[in-house]
Amino acid sequence: MNIYISCDMEGTAGVCSWQQVDARTPSPEYPMYQRYMTAEVLAAIDGARNAGAEHVFINDSHGPMRNLLLDDLPADVRILFGNRKPLSMTQGLDANFGGVFFTGYHGGIGDADATLSHTYTPSVVYAVRINGMRCSEATLNAGIAGYYGVPVLLITGDRVTVESAKEQMPWITGAVVKESIGHYSVDSISPRAAQELIREKAAEAVRNASHARPFVFEPPITMEIDLARVEQADLIELIPGFKRTGARQVRLRHDEYPVVFKAFVAAFRMGALADLPS
Amino acid sequence: MKLYISCDMEGTAAVCSWMQCDPSNTREYPVYRRYMSQEVRAAIDGARSAGVTGVLVNDSHWDMRNLLWDELPADVRVISGSRKPFSMTQGLDRDYAGAFFTGYHAKVGDADGVLAHTYTADVLYNVRINGTACSEALLNAAMAGYYGIPLLLVSGDRVVVEHVKEFIPQVTGVVVKDGIGHYSAASMTPRAAQDLLRDAAARAIREAAASKPFTFDSPVVMELDTARVEQADFIELMPGFERTGGRTVRFADDDYLTVFRAFVAAFRLGGAATAPA
Repeated sequence: MNIYISCDMEGTAGVCSWQQVDARTPSPEYPMYQRYMTAEVLAAIDGARNAGAEHVFINDSHGPMRNLLLDDLPADVRILFGNRKPLSMTQGLDANFGGVFFTGYHGGIGDADATLSHTYTPSVVYAVRINGMRCSEATLNAGIAGYYGVPVLLITGDRVTVESAKEQMPWITGAVVKESIGHYSVDSISPRAAQELIREKAAEAVRNASHARPFVFEPPITMEIDLARVEQADLIELIPGFKRTGARQVRLRHDEYPVVFKAFVAAFRMGALADLPS
Repeated sequence: MKLYISCDMEGTAAVCSWMQCDPSNTREYPVYRRYMSQEVRAAIDGARSAGVTGVLVNDSHWDMRNLLWDELPADVRVISGSRKPFSMTQGLDRDYAGAFFTGYHAKVGDADGVLAHTYTADVLYNVRINGTACSEALLNAAMAGYYGIPLLLVSGDRVVVEHVKEFIPQVTGVVVKDGIGHYSAASMTPRAAQDLLRDAAARAIREAAASKPFTFDSPVVMELDTARVEQADFIELMPGFERTGGRTVRFADDDYLTVFRAFVAAFRLGGAATAPA
């Protein structure tokens, strides 16, 4: 079985602050958590391989998407490195994979007691719903895997992240590495314990893969985005296919989920432009 | 008869540098902002002398708040401010009998067109509709045409005026300067340009009956060559856009209004690619 791993950073054990995950401005804390993030990905790979996984494809899915410490990874994995991928955190997914892991994931925008919870761009996306379902990054990204018939097997992160994913995908194996206390603190297991847990859960996830199902948004697919600010909706409604459904709300309908997903990427990028002075 | 005016700045008499057109330039911009306003005033005066009643002016340059209110008649309406969904053509509808484009400039890639560009020079390397290389004037004229409104007058340098006349032969063209390369012009004085505009505007209104709306045939196929590959990366994310080359995207629709909005979305989203990744 080939495994696709989308690895984020906020859900790494110990993480509770933006400074720890800020790859863009030189933050003294970032290099340490970059190492923990990488170690959790490595643990997931080891566990999956213990249970028989073959090829592993890792999509670095955090911030500028070039976080993983390459020397710490096995020599025989492939890594998708770098930013502005059209399918972002799900780039490279296709029907050749037997299952997907989401490591270091975090709660959806608006989730309480989910450290650093957000959905893609928190300055733009206030809420996003597909066919009426409130979506986290895990939900949105699982929809791309599901489009290709690939189930999500494992998610790691704080309790809210794991439990919300289990509500939407009951077959998923979860590794809870911390309990969040509000937005900016966590009660966490140690990075080393988290790596042990992830190794075990990854193996379990691969062994239980036959029970897992692809998560599919049924067409016609309706995406609604609530924006943080009115002027962001002003710009997003210019994108072909978007309808303005409220002062801070836009909607898009399409039968093909990758079109919807790419439109979502276009929307949050476009919305961010509204923050520039006019 | 009601008149719609979209006023840009680069085609104002004597303008030959971005510094004259950049609102953050405290030395030159205030001077040329006044000339821009006075050219709009001259066009309004001329049009009114030929019987125009209502006038809507859409400030269409840069951040779109350039016109000096005190230089304009008290009884016109002005659209001021930026990020209008229809940008330089905001407010056009069937109520208007004709449109004027003042202070317009040549399209991106034109030689001897002073400050030639098409909307966003950083993003757009070429714009083609149904295979025709388009200036702002042509793109905007087709928005007027969508509502059945003819373009009656265009003012600017020789290159933009001749370009528009090629596609809209009945238009009254007002050449206020000859470009010498991108950054210099052999120009009339602002006062002479205003006199010329006043007379031409009156003539354009008197001859309005001979004018026809300019439209693009459906299906309308828009091709954009972007300045940089990473801009096309972003633009192709939008539904309906197809990546047809490393730096080319394509969008087609039967409705020009939809195409024009997609065009605005494209140059805005393309602009986002300029930030470091």
